[in-house]
Amino acid sequence: MKLLTHNLLSSHVRGVGTRGFPLRLQATEVRINPVEFNPDFVARMIPKVEWAALVQAADTLNLAEVPKEPTEGYEHDETFLRKMHHVLLEVDVLEGTLQCPESGRLFPISRGIPNMLLNDEETET
Amino acid sequence: MAAAGPESGCDPACGARFFCTAGRGLESFLMREVQARLEATQVEYISGKVFFTTCSDLASMKKLKSAERLFLLIKKQLPIAVPSLSKGKILNELQKLVNDDPGSWLKAISLWKELLVHDTKREKVSQRDTNPLKRKVGENEIVVAKKLKLEEIQMVEKRHREGQWDRVPKYSLEQGDAITKTEELHKQGSQNDLVKAANTEDLEDLTFRVSCRCSGNIGKAFTTQEVGRVVGIALMRKFGWKANLRNPHLEIFIHLSDTYSVVGIPLFRVPLASRTYIQTAGLRSTIAWAMASIAEIKAGALVLDPMCGLGTILVEAAEEWPDVYYMGADVSNSQLLGACDNLKAAGLAGKIDLLQVSVTELPLPSQSVDVIISDIPFGKKFKLGKDIKSILQEMERVLRDGGAMVLLLSEDHHRHLRDCGGSSIPLTSQDSITDSEMKMPLNPDKRAGTSDMASPSHQASSSQCPSRVLPCGSLVPVECFKVSLGKTDAFICKYKKAHASGLSPAGCHEPGAQPEMAALQQSPCLQDSPRAPSALPLQMDVCREHTC
Repeated sequence: MKLLTHNLLSSHVRGVGTRGFPLRLQATEVRINPVEFNPDFVARMIPKVEWAALVQAADTLNLAEVPKEPTEGYEHDETFLRKMHHVLLEVDVLEGTLQCPESGRLFPISRGIPNMLLNDEETET
Repeated sequence: MAAAGPESGCDPACGARFFCTAGRGLESFLMREVQARLEATQVEYISGKVFFTTCSDLASMKKLKSAERLFLLIKKQLPIAVPSLSKGKILNELQKLVNDDPGSWLKAISLWKELLVHDTKREKVSQRDTNPLKRKVGENEIVVAKKLKLEEIQMVEKRHREGQWDRVPKYSLEQGDAITKTEELHKQGSQNDLVKAANTEDLEDLTFRVSCRCSGNIGKAFTTQEVGRVVGIALMRKFGWKANLRNPHLEIFIHLSDTYSVVGIPLFRVPLASRTYIQTAGLRSTIAWAMASIAEIKAGALVLDPMCGLGTILVEAAEEWPDVYYMGADVSNSQLLGACDNLKAAGLAGKIDLLQVSVTELPLPSQSVDVIISDIPFGKKFKLGKDIKSILQEMERVLRDGGAMVLLLSEDHHRHLRDCGGSSIPLTSQDSITDSEMKMPLNPDKRAGTSDMASPSHQASSSQCPSRVLPCGSLVPVECFKVSLGKTDAFICKYKKAHASGLSPAGCHEPGAQPEMAALQQSPCLQDSPRAPSALPLQMDVCREHTC
């Protein structure tokens, strides 16, 4: 699971509503996958990112290099874009957990794939 | 990954006439694709085949995604009339395919040589873009290839069965197991032979075999090997070529039916539909690409397949539209692990992330996804009605306003949705989705400014009827294509998410209708290709005019 994906995921446990975001990330195995750098693509992803959640996730993985907010004119700031490229796309959480901040429900991450399946009693309907 | 520009594709064989075979229902996608990718002109179709003229080289044509196989056209003409003639007269007609117009054969052979020589030169110059993937040839295809020794000529027979995909004979190369070879090796071996043949001035050194497909009345009167033998003997007598089943320089493909006779030369040993980058295919690659091609995927978008299976749609989409973030979800762990292997093999793991989750409970915020593409499972396990409704409701929730959704639906699902929602009403306006203010729960300020929210803000016509909407709210049918999956048919259906006030219902196209041209034009890879004149469906009188 990449941090870009983590940034989109929210808990959908019954009763949590919109407060199931962001999921608390715990990683026991992280791999860095080299991905071809595409500055345009990264620049397009930046506005989609919920920044506080990304900073928090990067902190738990001890990735120190995430700035507290996007830099001014980041579209042309290659250093910044390369950093974000690395954080959003190259960092891959292979094993670990995601925890719902509201209910405490743990979702396992195994072989890089988060398991977000719920039991019947946990579902909204 | 980008489509080759026309200039890179120009070669001495300028303006040559080709045809591709295509799965039933994909002809319209292929017509659009050859125009966009190859700047093809004189694009015509008959069921299962698309004919076109282009100056592109083989490398460009190899990028075609909605075709099964590519052929250089030798001749296309009216069918051989069967009932009024005796068997002997039909045999005479078959010989005339060769003897009446030897010039068309010789012209095609010389074009074929030029294409191969050009391709070999190009490859030597630009050092092969080696793909380390091993390919599996035709793994999911039913290969019905019979080799028959008949008198002095050996033929490959491809038995035609109604409703099956174009089948390819298994090539038995002398060096052994062709199936496990990489495509590059495979191609180079054969191509070198071909170039050797091309360099020999003397056509009499050329070896060939004939592959036949007969359907309709002529299929009842003759076996394919009879037809192949007659044509083969005629070719040997006329041109002095030698028959060779095992490893010929040249293959001659003949398809005789009640509506036309087509003769061509297959240009690649491996079908275009067998992708080098797909390890294990779930859905057919051509269908997956066709779905993605109408989904209006734009650079920077988030694309979701909430029932991704082995990830075929995601791989096809990511190959063509690389500057996009893809997410695949599935409930099945084993499918996801298969998808994971496929993504790694395709080198696309950096662009696609996977989730184990139910499509009815997606852990994503409302309006967070730009495009949804999915193959809705068929089968008995999957209940109609309630299930499809809950799936659509959840997909609708995560899709942003103005976002596109392309689904592959079984006939049952399609009928069910149509009966509930009334998507059979004819298309009235092309696109009247009103792009409202984006309500993005995660990041409202920043999202509103992104450039990919570019739906035109036409005013919806006031005469909208609420019953035209799907039962689950704001999903508006845009277009729908009936396609063949081999044994069964299915529907590629496109919807757009609109507000209740901005609806634009659409009709269901018959096979052959043109898909919305927008998608390929807007796509990052293909937008540079100017539009070629619009394609004409091939009528029989047109066929007469174009007989070579």
